[in-house]
Amino acid sequence: MSAQEVSQTQDGVQIIRATSAFDCGGRCPLRLHVKDGVLLRVEGDDGPEEEQLRACLRCRAMRQMVYHPERLRHPMKRVGRRGEGKFERISWDEAYDTLIRELTRVKETWGNSAIFLAGGGGYLGALHSGPRAASNLLARFGGYSASYGNVSSEGPVWAVLTQYGSVMVGNSREDLLNSKLIILWGWDPARMISGTNTMYHLIKARENGARVISIDPRYHDTAATAADEWIPILPGTDTAVMAAMAYVMITENLYDQAFLDKYTVGFDKFKDYVLGIEDGTAKTPGWAAEISSVPADVIERLAREYAAVKPAALMDCQGPARSAMGEQYNRCAMTLCAMTGNVGRPGGSAGGGLMGIPIGHMFRSSAIPGMKNPAEAGGPSVRGSLDLQDRLIKRVHTNKIFDAMIHGQAGGYPFDVKMAWFIASDLVTQRGNTNKADQALKGLEFIAVNELFMTPTARYADLLLPASAAIERNDLTRPWPSGPYFTFINKAIEPPGECKSDFDMICELAERMGYKDFNPMTEDQWLEAFVTKNPETGPIIKDYRKFKQEGVHRVKLKEPIIAFRQEIEDPENHPFSTPSGKIEIFSQRVADIGNPLLPPIPKYLSTWEDRFDPLKEKYPLQLLSPHPRNRVHSELHLVGWLRETEPHAMWINPADADPRGIKNGDEVLVHNDRGKLAVKAWVTERIIPGVVSIPEGTWYDPDEEGIDRGGCVNVLTNDAYSPGGAAALKTALVQVAKAEGR
Amino acid sequence: MQIGFYFDQTRCTGCSACRVACKDWHDVPAGQVNYLRVNYTEKGRFPSVFVAYTVGPCFHCQDPVCVPACPAGAITKRPEDGVVVVDREACLGNEACDEKCLKACPYDAPQFGPEPGAKMQKCNYCLDRHLKEQKPICVEACPTRAMDAGPLEELEKKYGQGREAAGFAYSQRTAPAVVFKAKPEPGA
Repeated sequence: MSAQEVSQTQDGVQIIRATSAFDCGGRCPLRLHVKDGVLLRVEGDDGPEEEQLRACLRCRAMRQMVYHPERLRHPMKRVGRRGEGKFERISWDEAYDTLIRELTRVKETWGNSAIFLAGGGGYLGALHSGPRAASNLLARFGGYSASYGNVSSEGPVWAVLTQYGSVMVGNSREDLLNSKLIILWGWDPARMISGTNTMYHLIKARENGARVISIDPRYHDTAATAADEWIPILPGTDTAVMAAMAYVMITENLYDQAFLDKYTVGFDKFKDYVLGIEDGTAKTPGWAAEISSVPADVIERLAREYAAVKPAALMDCQGPARSAMGEQYNRCAMTLCAMTGNVGRPGGSAGGGLMGIPIGHMFRSSAIPGMKNPAEAGGPSVRGSLDLQDRLIKRVHTNKIFDAMIHGQAGGYPFDVKMAWFIASDLVTQRGNTNKADQALKGLEFIAVNELFMTPTARYADLLLPASAAIERNDLTRPWPSGPYFTFINKAIEPPGECKSDFDMICELAERMGYKDFNPMTEDQWLEAFVTKNPETGPIIKDYRKFKQEGVHRVKLKEPIIAFRQEIEDPENHPFSTPSGKIEIFSQRVADIGNPLLPPIPKYLSTWEDRFDPLKEKYPLQLLSPHPRNRVHSELHLVGWLRETEPHAMWINPADADPRGIKNGDEVLVHNDRGKLAVKAWVTERIIPGVVSIPEGTWYDPDEEGIDRGGCVNVLTNDAYSPGGAAALKTALVQVAKAEGR
Repeated sequence: MQIGFYFDQTRCTGCSACRVACKDWHDVPAGQVNYLRVNYTEKGRFPSVFVAYTVGPCFHCQDPVCVPACPAGAITKRPEDGVVVVDREACLGNEACDEKCLKACPYDAPQFGPEPGAKMQKCNYCLDRHLKEQKPICVEACPTRAMDAGPLEELEKKYGQGREAAGFAYSQRTAPAVVFKAKPEPGA
């Protein structure tokens, strides 16, 4: 029987194998039921039951997304005021001519660096990713300006490069079954997935006898399902509690000195800090309790338990690091992992928050060959640098894009932006301080946006280019954050109207701009080359056609992958990728930067808008902005099947709601000096008093008074970054009041 | 033979993948019609909070009270597998009979749209899949494998005879075809 016959069912429905390409926390094989070119239903993976990579609700709603009546279908140009949202249909010819004319005008008037390319994570396929193709196009055109860093994980990336010199810090998920104690420190995979099947493995680990502790401001669904104990903690204070755990382990001699001697450098300096020898303040449980609201006796018990139970997996993550001084949280977690000898051991963890393994890792995806950006010529070499300032000589930090558009070189930024091109990126909702984005975008000369929907960013466009969705083209995808497997999208349906993939659009633009050899290969040639020439997949995936047909290639592991296993088991031959060859609890490279807010050992540091900021008088509540359960950031916002599963609402404890006269379901106004939004209150005992939480990603929708009726939490967050590069989105103070008369 | 569901409440994160998969499979638009609901229980005071979810499809009761409640005889229980099905042609609609089946059902399984004259619709155990020996889509969709389905007797053999769970009351009168693994409540 031929493969084609296998994929046909009796009723003429064809089964097409695909995945999403969202910037989500998983990557799941889908079987799309297609008849006469129409997607009828979505089924999940049909691999062996235990291995099934089961999709979450987001992909289950794929059909409503691709057929949503508000999909953009044709190129359009703005006819109303900028940001008003009034557009008129134009032809592709006119669209391309307009974009080429504006690129040329801006280049000739202001120079190449006035063109800002904002490529986001809205599409994580290998070939049809627009940002890579557009950066090549603009490189040929003479250059462009861009940002540095990603808004999600800059804190842990800096921290792991400092401590381990590697980003591959995860164990494969089934290794959780080898743990006896699992500490979820800010981690909620039930909501943001953290790798397909992660929640399943966590549940199985607990069923297997592991004790699970959740340390978090919220009693989230992961904790509610899988935790034996919830330890509530105030945001921004994690590192203080970790330092106090170290204090208990040091003073009670519960740590693994032999491990530290053999594999690490600089523990003595950390010890001096913890004991107060360095700065006169001992980091006692009592000291940390004052800061974090976690009782001293709970910290002592936690420290003793984590030190005694082996192996134990301390699972720090990226969320709490998305804050001012956020990188300290990951560094301190990794230091605890070393103090307890859990690094490189089955059932343990190396910490570091990135959780990826070196098979199928998204960072190792193939892509079309990149080109150097002429506008960045003459910049310093940033490879391996831990000094963020090196990276900000030619670029702006990703959380400062809009500030840079407003203030330009006069504000100390490397360029003056006159034109922006957004591809797969709804930065208006997805960066701090959304009202500043509004100001910035209203001040530009020209804005082009490639999009599937009229997102808040798309509303500011002068030119709208309608993009196709993932299942409307063939592409390679990779698991988030890593395998052990690889996936393929087979094109299931035609895109609506005149939509094209970003890659196809940019290739057509290149053709018109005279770059004749811009795209030398067909889609299938590219994809086959991506599979066979990628150093990782080439030796593993022998049959490209079979892989394409099956949509997934699973890698069988003889045993779980353990980060740094070789470095621990055979240190002579496998040094860590740091200058010392060891785990750097003290980093000379960081010491050389000389920034007291970026210390060479991990430290708890007080910040702006933390709970000790005098601003707390005016804005008494700390604000969190966790991942949404029913969107991928701002993607899927319009999909009804998903919206109805969890109405957008702000978590607030009765202790904060009652004095404000707020009842469950009331509309509230949340504000600080950056903005004001309206949202429904969800009054719940599941959040620590003094903190409110609004899921990120709902679409910005300001009314005539400037109140965001869309409940976009980034109206309230800060467009600041931490010295190591973490976007400081979870460091914000707000006040909440019941909305009157609505 | 009587089919039934198994639900492991200790594994459910309330994610709603089952609910969305159900809507996709049965082509039910967003709105008040939900063949499968995810019900929420929250008890206790900070920081001692208890949270549990229960899945709410039609439990295809062994003695379904919706059947006699229907004035038009539109609801029947299939003798071969116990699946409770509705003949939408025969259903009188929400206004004509005042939703008697929904009022009779302890689990809100019968669903009516908001429009006048809306006919009853509900979970049919994915009969099309069942006839092809596939499990209901909600079972296959669950990321944490919290659900199972099959002959009730087999489910009871495999999972025991748990009939209670937080947020669920077993109706002796209707005998819902479901086996639970309940989430233990603190102090219980």
